[in-house]
Amino acid sequence: MNILRSQICSVLRRPLYRQLTTTARPFVPPAQLVFHDNLYVPGAKELDDSTVEALVGETNEQEPEDDEEDPNDDRDKPHPDSPNFYTGRSSYYDNIVELQNAISRTRGTLQRLHLLPLPDFARKSLQPMPTVWKTPEEMTTDFETNMTISRYRRVTTLLNELNEYLRIATTAGYADVADRIGSIISIFESGKKEAFLSRGIRKPVLLDQHGRSYTFGKRKTSAARVWMIPVKSSTHETISDVNVEEVFGLSNEHKRSPVNVTVSTILVNNIPIAEYFPQPVDRERIVRPLKVAGVLGKYNVFTIVRGGGTTGQSGAIAHGIAKGIFAHEPETGLVLKRAKLLRRDPRMVERKKTGLAKARKRYTWVKR
Amino acid sequence: MVLALSRASLCRSLPQGTACLPSVRTYANSPPGQQGQFKIQNVKGSRKSKVNKTFSRKNRIGAFRSMNPSQLTVPVLQPRPSLSMPSFKPELMTENMIGQVVAFNQTLNDPIKYFGTPKNMLLEFRLLSQRCSVIRNITILTTEELNSAASEPSHKTRYVLTGPSGCGKSFLLLQAVQYCLAKEWIVIYIPRAKTTVNSTTTHVYDLRTQTYLQPNYAQQTLRRILEVNSANLQTLTMRDGLSYERRSFSSGTTLAQLASAGSKDPAISSVVLETLLTELCRQSKIPVLLAVDDFQSIYNQKTSYRDPHFSAIRPYHLAIPRFILEFASGKRSFPKGAIIGALTAADPAFPVTNELMDELGVPGVHPRSPYSKRSKILQEYARGLRNLPVPTEFSPREAASVFETWMRDNALTAPANDELFLAKYTESAGNPKAFVWQGILGTLEGAAPVVNESTSWPQLREGRI
Repeated sequence: MNILRSQICSVLRRPLYRQLTTTARPFVPPAQLVFHDNLYVPGAKELDDSTVEALVGETNEQEPEDDEEDPNDDRDKPHPDSPNFYTGRSSYYDNIVELQNAISRTRGTLQRLHLLPLPDFARKSLQPMPTVWKTPEEMTTDFETNMTISRYRRVTTLLNELNEYLRIATTAGYADVADRIGSIISIFESGKKEAFLSRGIRKPVLLDQHGRSYTFGKRKTSAARVWMIPVKSSTHETISDVNVEEVFGLSNEHKRSPVNVTVSTILVNNIPIAEYFPQPVDRERIVRPLKVAGVLGKYNVFTIVRGGGTTGQSGAIAHGIAKGIFAHEPETGLVLKRAKLLRRDPRMVERKKTGLAKARKRYTWVKR
Repeated sequence: MVLALSRASLCRSLPQGTACLPSVRTYANSPPGQQGQFKIQNVKGSRKSKVNKTFSRKNRIGAFRSMNPSQLTVPVLQPRPSLSMPSFKPELMTENMIGQVVAFNQTLNDPIKYFGTPKNMLLEFRLLSQRCSVIRNITILTTEELNSAASEPSHKTRYVLTGPSGCGKSFLLLQAVQYCLAKEWIVIYIPRAKTTVNSTTTHVYDLRTQTYLQPNYAQQTLRRILEVNSANLQTLTMRDGLSYERRSFSSGTTLAQLASAGSKDPAISSVVLETLLTELCRQSKIPVLLAVDDFQSIYNQKTSYRDPHFSAIRPYHLAIPRFILEFASGKRSFPKGAIIGALTAADPAFPVTNELMDELGVPGVHPRSPYSKRSKILQEYARGLRNLPVPTEFSPREAASVFETWMRDNALTAPANDELFLAKYTESAGNPKAFVWQGILGTLEGAAPVVNESTSWPQLREGRI
């Protein structure tokens, strides 16, 4: 089944400007051709009237007598759909042919538009369009042939060339040409293209209706779930000390207006951080992302942490807090990244190996 | 081998790059005036040997040579401006002084010197240039309570300061002691009541009272009470006479004379202390404050003392804990005054017992049920105690004042800025002890590395850590 046939016929068969000398006609064997007197027939002589009558009589005589159908008669036999029928892989070769036709037409178009051949500087400035073609298995079902490596490579080579022309066309701004190429390419693109291209890219964390972020942090075998919410700065306690000198304007000191300072509360498993982590190093590790991003006192943090020991849990919480800060304030992304706080620390406990006492420790060497 | 030349000049004559010869060692010469300081006089064998040895330990004070103070250019050692903070006065106990640090100045009857303080507080005062503490809202509350207690019997004002470890109970108690002393009360402050029950002081069984007396501790207590309250005690006199062990005191002797007699002789000190307390219970002129830190230690059923049968002695069978218990329970009472105790939350040897927790309504670490063990006698002694919970965290203002005090005392290793303050406050969750000891004093954060622009090495230039 040539899936391209209908597309191509409707889309690309419409020539751009060239006038064809011959019109497209279905194939008819010469014996069945019916010639009228006015028409030109190559190699045909002028026939006498008597010869024409004799011929007409012959045909008229034969028709009512012949009731049985000759199996070798080609008149009523169904024609093969594709000219590549006798290759045995008609669908595959049809597609190859159509792709090559598409490439040649597009090349011609782009050459006329002076977009080909493209100089190096222009080629470097092309819009990147990464593509993910269908897997050989998917193409096997489409082409009804076993897609070996060479056949797959042949198809993908053609598709990559088409993709290059698509890039040129989109960057140059020829939307109609780009659309036409794009419609062909989209047939061969994998459905998992979006997922594949977005692999490894951080998913943006959304804030809920209360403005809380929910992030995850991990370190060694610990996992921490971190919720962060901005601190509501309430009206600060009014300082009721009345400095008499200031009131009468006699004070020499320039007194700054009091700044409303909010403080962060960090709860780990519903326990204050100072109680859960008695070691100062764990506490400093947890507070470090807030320090680096400069948001001390801006967010309240609630954490649930499980697994591992003190270092793992404090590292997991720090990772979660860093991601939470990034969710609230994307501008801090660069500074957190440089401080390596957004990175999940990949270090894990190394396994013990056979022949060694521990991961690296060897048994005592004995001379004999 | 260089013999005649002095070693210092030899090193100076060599070019700078060369190393000194291994046989030539340089040691600091002792200053000119101290040449003969460490010489042993008139001892055989101390004659100077004619041969000058290359290495001799005589006339050397090791590698130390004291420097001229003007040569000290390190910023840490520069003379710092003295902390100018107001001194503790009862008039300063107002709402607008909350968050202000006040100093406990040294007076003639300084309670910190004579009574002492708990160990952590002592260390902190040693580190600081001045003994000071911050006024919190709970301080104002306590002083208001004490003002109202000045005219009421002590059995109506029996408070116990509670709270988690490091929230400032001992400091608050010290502030109460200073306040009452400034208000001319008689103050009996026992900073480490644990020492009365942990078998560190002598105990002697007394047949008359059927309790164990602690004569040495009584003597010390009398001496301290006398030193701190001598002015007040001189105005009070005994109503009844006392005669004990060939010593007699007539009825008109001042309590100061009584106390001084008792503080000199441990044999009569226990009885004198008992008499002193009885006399104080009779007079209603001057209010009396009994302040006890480590309050929960005397409520533990088993003290560390052992009787001849090797069973643990109960606290109410020891003289000093007994009188504290009696005053705390209200069985004995000063006509004017108050009793304040402060718990020590994290002492595994003497934990806070069920009886105290029940009475004060403190939740405690482990769940309690009606089937948990309780002593009826101690429950009796705990009846009527009121809980005065100390706030678990500093307010940002109080923390800022404490931070500034330590900052001015050059205690910070890191640059003093609001980022450090907020970081330490967040890490310690406002807990006073954690904020000072683990936050300010225990941090390893130092100054940020300075990029050296003059070096040619790019990795140093970029300031990479």
